[in-house]
Amino acid sequence: MSSVTIRDVKKRYGAMQVLHGVDLEIRDREFVVLVGPSGCGKSTLLRMIAGLESVSSGDIIIGDKVVNDVPAKSRDIAMVFQNYALYPHMSVYENMSFSLRLRRQAKEVIDRKVREAAEILNLGKFLDRSPRQLSGGQRQRVAMGRALVRDPQVFLFDEPLSNLDAKLRVVMRTEIKALHQRLQTTSVYVTHDQIEAMTMADRIVVMNGGKIEQIGSPLELYDTPANLFVAGFIGSPSMNFIEGVLGRDAGGAFVELPGGVRLAVPTMASGVAGQKVVFGARPEHCALAKGDAGVAVQVEVVEPTGANIQVYTKLAGTPFCAIFAERHEFKPGQTIRLDFPADKIHLFDVETGARL
Amino acid sequence: MNTKLRKSIFYWVLLLPLAVVNIFPFAVMFVTAVRPRDELFVYPPTWGFSEFRWENFSEMWVKTNFGGALMNSLYVSITATALALLLAIPSAYAMSRYRFAGKGAYRIFLLMTQMMSPIVLVLGLFRLMMTLGLVNDLNSLVITYAAFNLAFTIWMLQSYFNSIPRDLEEAAWMDGASHLTSLVRIFLPLAVPAMVVTAIFTFINSWNEFVLALTMMRSSNDFTLPVQIYAQVAGRYQVEWHHVMAGTVLATVPVAIVFSWLQRYLIRGMALGAVK
Amino acid sequence: MTAPKAGAWGKMANRIQKSVPMLMILPSLLLAVLIIGYPILDLAWTSSQEVSRFGKLIGFIGWGNFAEVFADPLFWESLSRTGIWTLAVVAGTLVISMPVAMILNDDFYGRGVARVIVMLPWAISLTMTAVVWRWALNGRSGLLNATLMQAGIIDQPIEWLATAGTAFIVEILVGILVSIPFTTTILLGGLSSMPQDAYEAAVVDGATGWHQFRYITLPLMKPFINIAIVLNVIYVFNSLPIIWVMTEGGPANGTDILVTYLYKLAFRFGQLGKAAAISLVMFGVLLIFTILYVALISRNDADDAAPEAEVDDEH
Repeated sequence: MSSVTIRDVKKRYGAMQVLHGVDLEIRDREFVVLVGPSGCGKSTLLRMIAGLESVSSGDIIIGDKVVNDVPAKSRDIAMVFQNYALYPHMSVYENMSFSLRLRRQAKEVIDRKVREAAEILNLGKFLDRSPRQLSGGQRQRVAMGRALVRDPQVFLFDEPLSNLDAKLRVVMRTEIKALHQRLQTTSVYVTHDQIEAMTMADRIVVMNGGKIEQIGSPLELYDTPANLFVAGFIGSPSMNFIEGVLGRDAGGAFVELPGGVRLAVPTMASGVAGQKVVFGARPEHCALAKGDAGVAVQVEVVEPTGANIQVYTKLAGTPFCAIFAERHEFKPGQTIRLDFPADKIHLFDVETGARL
Repeated sequence: MNTKLRKSIFYWVLLLPLAVVNIFPFAVMFVTAVRPRDELFVYPPTWGFSEFRWENFSEMWVKTNFGGALMNSLYVSITATALALLLAIPSAYAMSRYRFAGKGAYRIFLLMTQMMSPIVLVLGLFRLMMTLGLVNDLNSLVITYAAFNLAFTIWMLQSYFNSIPRDLEEAAWMDGASHLTSLVRIFLPLAVPAMVVTAIFTFINSWNEFVLALTMMRSSNDFTLPVQIYAQVAGRYQVEWHHVMAGTVLATVPVAIVFSWLQRYLIRGMALGAVK
Repeated sequence: MTAPKAGAWGKMANRIQKSVPMLMILPSLLLAVLIIGYPILDLAWTSSQEVSRFGKLIGFIGWGNFAEVFADPLFWESLSRTGIWTLAVVAGTLVISMPVAMILNDDFYGRGVARVIVMLPWAISLTMTAVVWRWALNGRSGLLNATLMQAGIIDQPIEWLATAGTAFIVEILVGILVSIPFTTTILLGGLSSMPQDAYEAAVVDGATGWHQFRYITLPLMKPFINIAIVLNVIYVFNSLPIIWVMTEGGPANGTDILVTYLYKLAFRFGQLGKAAAISLVMFGVLLIFTILYVALISRNDADDAAPEAEVDDEH
């Protein structure tokens, strides 16, 4: 097991720049998730760590060794591929033992390691099957098993759950997390699904357009997103954004929205009066106001999920979603008043998108 | 009557003329190959004949040096196929797996070679073979057939190679395999069916080629089957049609059977390689 | 650079790695250049040479051979016959292949057998097909005459190949016959990739069978039809065996097309200069068709971006 350091790494394909200088320190035993929309460079970064893509500039360091020019086979890294990449002409046993056979390990050692891994992954019955005969979930396990038998420095996961159905994805997510808690192998996990990132990661790296937007623990990203992108990406349904102008008066700081609605914001927020800002509030942080307080909005669509109620309205002309854990009987057309606890709202600069 | 049955009858009625015309040459071949010589030129002409003379085949074999031509055809087709595959496999692999400068240009170059038929180049090729001292040498056909089949072979292989996921090899590298090991233990075993199918088509193409064989082979000992059979017909006052048809049956039927059997692979390869 | 040595190594490894694909395509490239590229240059050279009566090249005459070719009425006759031959075969093939492909794409009893029968001519070499037809069309005892007479359609045998007019028509028909399998295959490839839901949507919208064909099948098939046309034009334009084996361009040059005329000039009459000039003219025509073909397929490629072009990290 070891740490992985990425130092000012860039990647170009001809004239096309895919990574614009990425710095990242992955600590020993840590589970780091790279998350971002498609095309953000997360898979490219993972493949560079794996040694499957060359590094255009910068350094990739595993342990304390620069591995830029070390070929994939010598990096002692295991990887689980999106499409599993099981060798179709080999049985499950042969798939899992391939790396050990390449290293010419003793037969008994190979057999013991494969059976151990199969035990952990519940694959004991399937060792003689060919990958073709397995279900999606089982194939996924074999792919994990192939990584597991090696006891490598680092585990890499490239969207390993994206081909599974929703239910199985949740099960496997938990299994991978449990596995990491047990083995403690440094892991880098790529996904475009922010829920996977939130539930599995020790730390999340949010990427966009070939750059890192923010690095932090799941709750840090949720509570204090560094910019508009992270704020919108983390959390589901995503945060509501409304443009407005920052103002201050005797009562404290406020944001004035189009149409004159004023919303109180924390006084300590930096920014000067008259500055254009984006006001952000998570749907789950809206409250029903008491009496005449808060802002009046008209209910347009109501979606009860059982666990909560999602209400779609418009606030200052912008679509706005609110979620209530309590069971209210809302009707379309009905007017309700929303309140936003000042400590749960977010302000961003319109120009830079940075958090204020 | 259910609709599918009605539809089937309708379709078969439409297809019938084409089916008859397609089967007609085969019927002509068989009926002529087995009839006695003196029933070839009868008047009025008729399909009927008095007896099956299977000896026509053995007679033809001896009289027309069929065995020699068969060996020539086999030698040329097998060697040309082997050469084409040997050159095409690395090229197809490179086309399928790497991005490199000049890849697009190479693809278009291949396309152009595919479009150039031997007949347009035949004079230049003949002069080239004269210079190389390969006229009347079956190896001149080996290298030209290999060259003219390269584009097709590379396309076919590339389209199959593309369908072998790249991440299988990447997984092997991650597992600690060198490029060579992953090629030998992961890629090649998966590519064998594709290579066999491609080889068979290249073989059939070479087997059937006419113009170059007619041009390069000047002595009857070196004739391949199509030229040998053509030579039984061309410029002769008295053509032994029963022998010619017997030769045609022997030369085409085995190949036709293999071809009919493999044709769906050809369709697939063309759909992936040439049309796209 | 923390470790300059490693960097230098890396650069060299990088360079070697970059040349790997080049080395892999090099052997095939060399062979293709030798066998397909060089003869073109040689033809260009030969076409500029004066040729002795014994087929020896004896000196430079510039465009002389071309002038002679263009002054030769047989060349123009062959050229116009090549035009008719190509046009008739390609058009006839397409008209028959389209309905055949549509039938074979549908589900009916005996479809497997029907496919094999339709594809049969493809399985035999053109030479063999032509030999068999030459016998079948024999003016006295051919089995086509036998069939027609026994069926009572004619009462005198017809000399199919004795006059240029009928011979050429018969050759065109055989040409169509042998081109149908390939064309049907391409069209079938297109038909099988038709989106089924488009037809279902059309049926829901109230489209009749003809409407479906006119407004869905035909527009979606257009790229495949185009490719079938261009490829067929190239193949038919170049096709020697049928005419060569059945009539050798005769009687009296009456069925000569460019390829048969070219072949006679080169290997019967030793007129290498003229033959080379005709080869180059044909090469020019082929080049135009090839460029057309490249344009067609790259337009198709642009529609569904090439798989290796992905820079995006999703697959």
